[in-house]
Amino acid sequence: MEPSAASERLRVRLLGLGNELLADDAFGLLVAERAATWFPGLEVARSSEAGLALLDHFMGASRLIIVDTLQTGKFAPGTLRLLGSAELQAPPGGSLHGAGLWEAWQLARHLGFGAPDEVFIVAVEPADCSTVGGRMHPDVEAAIPEALRRIGALLEGSR
Amino acid sequence: MAETASRRRITIDPVTRLEGHGRIEIFLDEQGAVDRAYFQVPELRGFEKFAQGRPAEDMPQITSRICGVCPTAHHMASTKALDALYQVEPPPAAKKIRELIYSTFMIEDHALHFYFLGGPDFIVGPQAPPAERNVLGVIARVGAETGRKVIAMRRKLRDLIALAGGKPAHPVFGLPGGVAKPLSKDDQQQFRSVAEEAVGFAQFTLELFGKLVLENSNYLELILSETFTHRTYYMGLVDERNRVNFYDGAIRVVTPEGHRYARFGAGEYLDYIAERVEPWSYMKFCYLKPVGWRGFTDGAESGVYCVAPLARLNAAEELATPLAQQAYAHYMATLGRPVHHTLANHWARLIELLYAAERMKQLADDPEICSPHVRTLPSTTPHEGVGVVEAPRGTLIHHYRTDARGIIQQANLIVATQNNAARISLSVEQAARRLISGREVSEGLLNMVEMAFRAYDPCLGCATHSLPGSMPLWVQVRDHRGRPLSTLRRDSDGTIRRQ
Repeated sequence: MEPSAASERLRVRLLGLGNELLADDAFGLLVAERAATWFPGLEVARSSEAGLALLDHFMGASRLIIVDTLQTGKFAPGTLRLLGSAELQAPPGGSLHGAGLWEAWQLARHLGFGAPDEVFIVAVEPADCSTVGGRMHPDVEAAIPEALRRIGALLEGSR
Repeated sequence: MAETASRRRITIDPVTRLEGHGRIEIFLDEQGAVDRAYFQVPELRGFEKFAQGRPAEDMPQITSRICGVCPTAHHMASTKALDALYQVEPPPAAKKIRELIYSTFMIEDHALHFYFLGGPDFIVGPQAPPAERNVLGVIARVGAETGRKVIAMRRKLRDLIALAGGKPAHPVFGLPGGVAKPLSKDDQQQFRSVAEEAVGFAQFTLELFGKLVLENSNYLELILSETFTHRTYYMGLVDERNRVNFYDGAIRVVTPEGHRYARFGAGEYLDYIAERVEPWSYMKFCYLKPVGWRGFTDGAESGVYCVAPLARLNAAEELATPLAQQAYAHYMATLGRPVHHTLANHWARLIELLYAAERMKQLADDPEICSPHVRTLPSTTPHEGVGVVEAPRGTLIHHYRTDARGIIQQANLIVATQNNAARISLSVEQAARRLISGREVSEGLLNMVEMAFRAYDPCLGCATHSLPGSMPLWVQVRDHRGRPLSTLRRDSDGTIRRQ
């Protein structure tokens, strides 16, 4: 993809991240799947990849909404949080392993690939993201409609 | 255990999923000096149970979906395990297509690692302020043009993988006995042209490494320092002439003196590799079975071994392509064989990058690769199969046992980081011993430990995503009863705060 000039119109993209084989980690993918039906015309992408493999998703969008699990251990499973660009920060001193969303975003931005100026993250607190074939926690599953409502509000704000 | 009771424990625990829950445990003795330090990789739970009862033929898709970091490596190891399970030999063109796609994947992975993961340590520098030690710091040093070059290269490589093998995240080309489709002449032409470019790109990257790192005496000193040196066994796949091969061959192990210790086929891995579970950890540490477990220590008496680029170059005797062989000779002449310096992994990785690019070109130029014969249909009753490849992060083994219908009854995976776990623990311990005294933990420790981590490029439990929070690292010092004594946290601006 060639570096693009300033985008002519606001191009909003929704990116669901996760892994459907790993219990609650399916959340982002399920939300993205439903969002495609709830919000006709919205550009929706889903990915099970990590780190810089996500670079393409940061290219050519003026606003990106990411849905993923974020394990903090500080909230009850199913708790939703809305994070903004300010919360998507560099791990100081570099990450221990791999590069993450922040790196992908910054690369796309600083190398002129038409990266979004704003990134929103709809994050759910999972109970378990490491049991292969595990079931989703009921409270995490129950948070899907609310996540969609929050995405709706973000889309309203983008108009 | 009295000994355990007198220890204090420090935990460095990335709380965000970015780091994939990797955890460092540091145990202090009563005087506050480091007694033992360990690196833990969380294992995915339930894989064996999940696999049981499923058709073995689904495994290349299932296992590649588990890991968001190296799906192609799992897909390939799994496909090879199916070849063994059904006792089918893929036709030559199928093997070549597999290795061609695999080489393409290795180039992408190695290049990204050097620039954007290892880069903060060697391009930006270990002494740079933490806030600059990231991809932006790398871009600032190498220039946006080089950054764009890396991204453009990556795009072309990924497009090729998609062309011949399905989406990079979900490869589908491998089938027992071959691949799903032949390579067309047009596809071959595209591979040839990108391979040519990849060779130039790898040469450029090695030159850059030479200028930035090898000509910098501080970096060389760091690479050669005892803090990052362990004299262990080394393991890697080699071809019939003991040359590095990522896709196929025998597993070769050399001693800490660099002599041949063993050479065996994938099916014999259980004779050589044993797994040890420590009471304090839920992960398994691999060691060489015939040598035995002597604890977390190096030397010829200890079964601790190492995989990944540094180990692969040690375990082999040469490289199969001309430019990479030249680079390999220079590397060995500079550092001495075998190379025991963990941070030399970065250099070794770039030599492998060049090898992978040249290998891609060799395979793409091979007229046989366009043969329509890409599948040998399985006709035997399945029972058991082991497949092995060299993942970017080291030797990866898939092992399945099935019933006569090909339904999985037992499945075992040994992932690269498991092979490396004991040695990574040695590195953590060595860095910790030099930097920790008493209850205070310096930021230097975090940097040094992280540098050792990144050199190995540990894959943390095939962790997927990746939302950085505001507390990327914390270190906890606990008393012998597990009560926290103090908590040290490093904030996103790099400052260390105590709570």
